[in-house]
Amino acid sequence: MNLRRHPVSAGLSALVIAFLWLPLVVVIIGSFDANGLLTTFTGATGHWYDQAVHDPNVRAGFETTLIIAVCSMLLSLCVALSGALWWRRAPRRARAIYDALVYARIVVPEVVFATALFFLFLKVHFALGIPAIIVGHAVLNSAYSTLIIQARLLGTDPALEEAAADLGATPWRVFRRVTLATLMPAIIAAGLLAFTFSLDDVVTSYFLQGTAQSPLPIVLLGMIRFRITPEINAVGVFVMFLTVALMSGAVVVFAGAGRLGREGRSRRRSRLLGLYQG
Amino acid sequence: MIRRIAHHGLALPTVLVTAVCFLAPLALIFVYSFGTDNLVTLNVDFGWTTSNYTAFAQTLYLDTLLRSVVLSLGTTAACGVLGLALAYFISRQGPRVQRLLLAAVIIPFWTSFIVRTYSWVDILQNDGPLDNLAHTLGLLGPRSHLDLLYTPFSIGLGIVYSYLPLMILPIYVSLERIDPAIYNAGADLGATPWRQFRRLVLPLARPGLIAGSIIVGVPAMGEYVIPEILGGGKTLMVGNIIANQFQETGNYPLGSALAVVLIVALMIVLFFMRRFQMSAEVT
Repeated sequence: MNLRRHPVSAGLSALVIAFLWLPLVVVIIGSFDANGLLTTFTGATGHWYDQAVHDPNVRAGFETTLIIAVCSMLLSLCVALSGALWWRRAPRRARAIYDALVYARIVVPEVVFATALFFLFLKVHFALGIPAIIVGHAVLNSAYSTLIIQARLLGTDPALEEAAADLGATPWRVFRRVTLATLMPAIIAAGLLAFTFSLDDVVTSYFLQGTAQSPLPIVLLGMIRFRITPEINAVGVFVMFLTVALMSGAVVVFAGAGRLGREGRSRRRSRLLGLYQG
Repeated sequence: MIRRIAHHGLALPTVLVTAVCFLAPLALIFVYSFGTDNLVTLNVDFGWTTSNYTAFAQTLYLDTLLRSVVLSLGTTAACGVLGLALAYFISRQGPRVQRLLLAAVIIPFWTSFIVRTYSWVDILQNDGPLDNLAHTLGLLGPRSHLDLLYTPFSIGLGIVYSYLPLMILPIYVSLERIDPAIYNAGADLGATPWRQFRRLVLPLARPGLIAGSIIVGVPAMGEYVIPEILGGGKTLMVGNIIANQFQETGNYPLGSALAVVLIVALMIVLFFMRRFQMSAEVT
């Protein structure tokens, strides 16, 4: 008897896939549902999309989210890239400390980090608001970005750079044409990951926003708290397509570079974290 | 010499960001966890008191911590069972089907976290689809309801739903590298499916299972948003209590102490997971 098509494993798998997709189906149906309650479907309407597009709160929230996501992504990349380049040639002990700090930023619960940073900003009178959120996101997302860039660096032969230097390239040219070029797929993937994490973040944004305009996830959370409306389903569908398009782009970039699919990345990431030995 | 200094300059952004925005805040709450909140002057007095930690012994906090631990362990176990089943199934398919199934696992994970979690309110609510189904099947009387929403169950379901892909991927990775001939050998030698599972699949999946348990269990313990949406403000986890101390009550020392307890608890769990992982490598 072959386990490959064993009914228990196949049946359970079908259930798990259905479980993962059920909420998405509910969100999509809800976004077109005329009466706005999921109890009975009374007909399709584009009303909620119309309402979402014209909701000033949603629009402002979306703009804020994009600003935060772009800025924190750039900041994350600067931190991660410079850090990873240092890490490559650093002494062993320093590397171990560096790795531990990256690991700690991933493992400490976000709610603890966010409240602690909120508290520190309060104490030193650093104004809460959009810059504070950008910094907060960058602290967390740069850790994930570092893991991705480190993984690529491990697979890069230093001889390439030495060869370029021997052939008379200036250090800047070596960096731009060899180091940066080989790291580009990892930089793009790390950037996209940081961007999407920032796009979806709730906890850090919530604590650091102060009285500034809330980013989109917080606007949605507020809508949930005060009134139940299918408008958020319409916003959800929109954000879903945006994220899927972005991440598909990342996968294509990776596939094009002939390296690491998402699963490969998670393997390297796990391996770097020491979570997975293989 | 200049090159070496320039090289160490590359570490500066990371050192700055980590020291100022990560280590300093954590050190601050650690110090504050030993202070007392002066209700008159609204300042914090430092007597290096442990009263915030003894206040923790109140049943409210202990219940919440216990609930967080149980929910974290329970959801990790549920993710492990479901994740193992699906990851195993995926790893035994052809490359095209594998890619398709992996996409099916990952795409829901890219949908807005808030919207995804909120959709379970729609699904679980009384008179919602699940409740209606139970009525149609005649499982419930006309006036009774399932009452699933705003319970520890609904929070657990939300956590399992959100973190399941993080369990599936590492298990898949450890199973994917395995030569299918091993399974055939097991079958040829007459092992029953259950025995094949127990003696082959489970040991091979173990590294991924442990990695997934860390990636799922640790954030589940400090979860804040899911209990906020699916707990309806009634059922809380330790993350919510910490957040409330900083956002509403303003009792910073108590909130700090709770945060320190959470981090210490997680460090203990991680320590044992690492030990377990190392013993898994030896065998």
